[in-house]
Amino acid sequence: MKTRWRDGDHSREVELTALGAGRWRVRVDEAEFEVAAERLPEGVLELTADGRSTRAEVTPAGTRRFVRLGTLDFVLERDTAGRRRAAAGGRGHGPGGGGGLEAPMPGVVTKVMVAVGEHVKRGQPLLALEAMKMEHLIRAPHAGVVRRLAANAGDMVQAGAELVELEEGEP
Amino acid sequence: MFAKILIANRGEIACRIAATLRDLGIRSVAVYSEADRGALHTRVCDEARAIGPAEPRASYLNAEALVRAAREAGAQAIHPGFGFLAENADFADAVESAGLTFIGPTGAQIRAMGDKREARRLAAKTGVPVVPGAEGADTRALVRAADAMGYPVLVKAALGGGGKGMRKAADAAGLAEAIEAARRVAGSAFGDESVYLEKLLERPRHIEVQVLGDGQGRALHLFERDCTLQRRHQKVVEEAPSPALDARLRAEVARAAVRLAEAVRYRGAGTIEMLWTREAGFHFLEMNTRLQVEHPVTELVTGVDLVRAQVEIAATGRLPFEQPPGPPRGHAIEARVYAEDAARDFLPQAGTALRVRWPEGASVRVDRGLESGDSVSVHYDPMLAKVIAHGATRTEALERLVAALDEARIHGVVTNLPFLRALLRAPEAVSGGYDTEWIEREFLAGFSALMRAPAPELALAAAAIAEALDGAAPAARGPAARRRLDPFAALGRWRLAGLEA
Repeated sequence: MKTRWRDGDHSREVELTALGAGRWRVRVDEAEFEVAAERLPEGVLELTADGRSTRAEVTPAGTRRFVRLGTLDFVLERDTAGRRRAAAGGRGHGPGGGGGLEAPMPGVVTKVMVAVGEHVKRGQPLLALEAMKMEHLIRAPHAGVVRRLAANAGDMVQAGAELVELEEGEP
Repeated sequence: MFAKILIANRGEIACRIAATLRDLGIRSVAVYSEADRGALHTRVCDEARAIGPAEPRASYLNAEALVRAAREAGAQAIHPGFGFLAENADFADAVESAGLTFIGPTGAQIRAMGDKREARRLAAKTGVPVVPGAEGADTRALVRAADAMGYPVLVKAALGGGGKGMRKAADAAGLAEAIEAARRVAGSAFGDESVYLEKLLERPRHIEVQVLGDGQGRALHLFERDCTLQRRHQKVVEEAPSPALDARLRAEVARAAVRLAEAVRYRGAGTIEMLWTREAGFHFLEMNTRLQVEHPVTELVTGVDLVRAQVEIAATGRLPFEQPPGPPRGHAIEARVYAEDAARDFLPQAGTALRVRWPEGASVRVDRGLESGDSVSVHYDPMLAKVIAHGATRTEALERLVAALDEARIHGVVTNLPFLRALLRAPEAVSGGYDTEWIEREFLAGFSALMRAPAPELALAAAAIAEALDGAAPAARGPAARRRLDPFAALGRWRLAGLEA
C-alpha cells in the first residue's frame, strides 16, 4: 500500500507491506526496513525495529497527522493533492497557470482590496487577514486577473482555505 | 474580604486566578465570549456569564458588559488578569464608580505609568537611572537629539509598551522614516501618535522587580526576574532569580524598584522593568501596573501567592506581610507554550486540541487554559499555557523544565513545544550567557535548519501504519481523550447508592 505525505517542504512516499503478526515491511522514499507494531491503549503504538523499541502516538486531524515519537513531535500531512486536483477537474485550476491563493493561517478576512475582473500587478495586496493580533496581507504572486473571490470581509477562514482565484497574465 | 469576584479575562490566567479564589473560599465568576462557550476557564469557575460576541472589542474589552456582569452576579470586585483591560485606566475608574473594587492600582497610577514618557520622568525623579532619550512632536528636533546622543536608537510609542510598534534606527535617514512609521502604528494601536526615542543599549539583559504597594506609600519587593530570552521583544522564557546578578546587584535593583513604587504610592502588584549590562548598569524601561505573565517564577522562589496578595491588598489597603528577607529559595524557570508554528515564521495557529497531556511532578507547575478537546480560537492571544519548574539550583530547575516540556504533548494544534525544547538545550541557555537579541541573532538560524530537515523515517512509518490499522476513516474517531458519557445512564450509579434526592 502506497501513501504520499507532506513533511514540511518535502513530499515523501511510504510503501507498507503487511508481513503478518504485527510486522510490516516499510519503504520510506529510498529507505527500507522492517518494523513490528503493537497497539497499546489510547492510540499508542509500540514500534520495534532492529531490537530497539519506541512509542509513537498518532493523532489524525483532518488530513494532518500529529506524530509523537519518543519525546519528539512531528506534523505530517496526508498528500491528497492528486485527488483534489481531479475533483476540481475542468475548472482550469491546475498547478500551472496561477490558480488559488490560500490562507497561510486561520483567521478573519478584514479587508478585500480587489474586485472580480480586476487586473492586478505582482505584489499588489489582495486582501487582509487578521488572526491573534497579527495582520497579514495576501499579495498577488504574479500579475493577472481576479477570476473569483472565495471570501468576503468578516469571513472566518481556515488555514489552507482558498481566498482568491487569480489568472496569470499581463493586462 | 470579598465573597465573590468576577474575573475579567480568559484562558490560563483566568484559570490561575480562579485557583487562588478557591483557596480563599471566594466564589469566582467567569466571563466568556461566544467563541469561549464551554472553555476551560468557564468550567473551573463557580459560575460563568456570557458577555458578547467573539471579537475582543465586543466582549473582553467591553467595559460596560463586564461591569454589568459583575453587578448581576453580585460580585464585589473585578480581577482584570493581564492583557485586555488590565492596564486600562478608564476601566479601573468605571469599576470603582460602579461601587465595585478594581483589584489593581488606581486609574491615576495606570494613566501615569501608561504614558511611558511620564513613567521615565517619575523614575528619573526618584533616582532610578533611565536610558538616555528624547521626546517631542517635531521629527527634525528628534533627529537632532539622536545625532547628539549617538545611534542606534529605538523609537517607541508613548502610550505603548511591551515592544509593540517599536522600531530601531541606525542613522538619521532611517530615523526620520522610523518615526513616521512608529507614529502610524501608535495612532492605530493606542489612539495616540506620540512617540519618544531611547538610545539602544547593546546586548542587554531584561531584569524586572516584582513589587507590592499598599497605596499609601509603603512598598516591598519580591526579588527580580530575568526575562532576557526574547524573540522580537516578546518574552519566551523567564526565571528567578537572575543568573547574571550577584547579591549586591540584586539588592541594588530591588532598592531602586521599591523607591519608585513608594514615590508613586503604588497600590497592588506591579513590576518595574529594567535593562542591564555589566558596563552600563541598570536602566529603567517601564512599569507594568498588573500581574505579569511570568509571575509564577516569583511565587515558586518566595512561596507567596501573588493573586492572593493582590486580593488582600484590595480588600484591606494593607500589605499582607513584611518584606521577606533574602535570598530567594532555589531557582524557578518558566516557558511559554504558544499555538504558533515555529517552522513557519511563528505564524499563529488555531484548531481543536484533540489530545493534550500536561507534565506533572512535585517540582513542576503548569498554568493552563486548555485540556483535550478544547479549541484554540483565532480571536485571542495564542498563549496556551506556561510550564514552570523549580529546583534547588538553576541547573536542577532547567533539567526539570526540559523533562517537563518533553513530556508535554499537544496534538491537533501546532505549538512551539519543539522550539522550547531545542532552545533550552542550547549551550547558552544552559550557561545563562545570552542577551535579549541572542535568539534572533544566533539561535534561530540553526533551529530553522533543524525544522526544515526531513522527519525520521520511523515517524512516517508510524503515520502510515496507524492509518492502515485504523482503516480508511481515522479522523472519524474524533478526540481521543474524550470518553463518551451517557449522562442519564451515569445517574443510575447514584440512584443505586441511595443518593437520589
